[in-house]
Amino acid sequence: MSTSTIRMSMGPAGMDNLLERVAEGLPQGLLPVEVFNDEDVFQAEMQQIFAKAWVFVAHESEIRNNGDYVLRRIGLDPVIVTRDDAGEIRVMSNYCRHRGAQVCQSDHGNTSHFRCSYHGWTFKNNGDWAGAPHSKEAYGGRLDGREWGLLRAPRIDTHQGFIFASLSEEGPTLKEFLGDAAWVLDTICGLHPGGMRVIGVPERTKIRGDWKSGAENFSGDGYHIDTLHFGNEQTNYAAGLRQNNDVANSLVLDGGHAFLCHSFVDMFGPFGEFSGYPQHIKERFDLSSLDEAQREFARERPPSIGNIFPNLGFIRFPAPAEPGGAPAVFTSFRQFQPLGPGMMEMWNWQFTFEFMNDEESIPGYTTGQYNFSSAGLFEQDDTVAWEGARSVAQSVWNRKAQTNLHFQQGFGSNIERPADPTWRGPGVFRRNGYGEFGQMNFYAQWLNMLQKRK
Amino acid sequence: MTIPTDSYTKNFASEATVNQVSQFLGYEAMLLDERRFWDWFALLDDEIIYQVPLRTVREFGKDEFPPNAWRQRDNKAMMETRIKRLFTGSAWAEDPPSRTVRSVGSLLVEVSDEPNIVVVHSTVTLYRHRAQDEQGDLIAARRRDRMRLTEDGLRLLARTVILADTVMTTPNLAVIL
Repeated sequence: MSTSTIRMSMGPAGMDNLLERVAEGLPQGLLPVEVFNDEDVFQAEMQQIFAKAWVFVAHESEIRNNGDYVLRRIGLDPVIVTRDDAGEIRVMSNYCRHRGAQVCQSDHGNTSHFRCSYHGWTFKNNGDWAGAPHSKEAYGGRLDGREWGLLRAPRIDTHQGFIFASLSEEGPTLKEFLGDAAWVLDTICGLHPGGMRVIGVPERTKIRGDWKSGAENFSGDGYHIDTLHFGNEQTNYAAGLRQNNDVANSLVLDGGHAFLCHSFVDMFGPFGEFSGYPQHIKERFDLSSLDEAQREFARERPPSIGNIFPNLGFIRFPAPAEPGGAPAVFTSFRQFQPLGPGMMEMWNWQFTFEFMNDEESIPGYTTGQYNFSSAGLFEQDDTVAWEGARSVAQSVWNRKAQTNLHFQQGFGSNIERPADPTWRGPGVFRRNGYGEFGQMNFYAQWLNMLQKRK
Repeated sequence: MTIPTDSYTKNFASEATVNQVSQFLGYEAMLLDERRFWDWFALLDDEIIYQVPLRTVREFGKDEFPPNAWRQRDNKAMMETRIKRLFTGSAWAEDPPSRTVRSVGSLLVEVSDEPNIVVVHSTVTLYRHRAQDEQGDLIAARRRDRMRLTEDGLRLLARTVILADTVMTTPNLAVIL
């Protein structure tokens, strides 16, 4: 795929026009190509979405001890996520208040202070200014700790150990922002009251695709699986890819969140209960923190793929740890980190249950990385497919023709399914994987946030 | 991941072994660049573990390789499936396939505690020009291998690929290093 180095941008008037076209197009299942690669669209996303939304930055299990930290990003902003000396979680801008040098240059570690390498300004692990060399001679004493401390994300909150930060002082709370996605996250993590934890460190790969291509794919694209990933059936590693959408269900939630949920019991029989976890692990599940609807959801047709708006993807699937071997279940959360117009980094965290030790978690980790990693048998092909949208978005011809992409699958057509009347959970649950409802829902929320730019 | 300095000279393999290893590395580099993947697969020991650990940015002196963290860790069956997939006509990350040119160098061969097993250190710089990409990608890595000397020649018993990248800049690891 050609990777154009030309950078097109449409300007403010162009943006107004584009958002009008998106607003007109979405109800008809149409989306203008420009959204996937444009300087002005990207800037608007940074300001209207990533500087306002609740963005995932880390899981509490990555910073268990006081002083632990990880280096992360909110949009393009590097942030240090720490557990400070008082045990509080902090999310701080990784720029020294003196000359803007990065005070932390390590991906993870444990420290009481961050010391800037330029002039030695030093900050506590809660972000407060703590000192500077020769402070008496240079400043006549101490500076105000908070006034000259690292910028702190105004709002931090957690759910199931997932740490989210918002760079906006106002707006919905995390609970309101996640809405019913919290109910799904509880189902995913709540197969045991101890919840889940991260194994290892996130894997990071630069991809020539727009962050939205990843987010929309995980919002409900079951349709690509038996084309893009069909090689895995041809090798006999995977089976049933062609039937995948028949046993999938789509769950669309307010706020731009959406999931696919697979009826693994229909695919595999009783073994498929609870995502097909091996019996010895199922036996240790404790559903006491889940309500009745969540228990049925987890047992019969659990969430398998999803995206929590804006860019926190999720996948949990059973697959053999090695070809022909016993299936293991992996749980990956992934983040489609915007890097620039039409460019992202894919961050991939493998999770395990807190009640499982490292040794017990290795089969799931192995399976997860074998399927969904930079070397993954499935995911490596996605990285190529996503290069298309960022390329057509820069096409002079397609811009001139005002090309829209087709999101009309199941949209007013004879395969559109009504909501499942027996569904006891939130949102709209359809007993069919066809349709692009989750993707449309993602772009509706994207539009909703961009429209507030004035 | 580092070699004790005192092993620098005392564990050197014989000139004949070094020559054999050098020819092996040149041969496998050619096979992989020419996409003769099954011929390369035939060079793997049944016990092969091929792994690419995840690496993080840390301060000088700190461990850059967290435990239980890898991009890829294949045994022989997993590698076999990976190669099978390349021949399906739908392994889209490598179809059309990258044109690859790899340079292998900085060779150091050591004897090990086990007879007939040598420890091989090398570097690989892989230029990967994928499909119709405008530009190719460079992947640079240090490799630590264990090779078994058999009657049929050398067999690759273990390979650990230490990438220079912490954030990988080629979009996927659909190529063998």
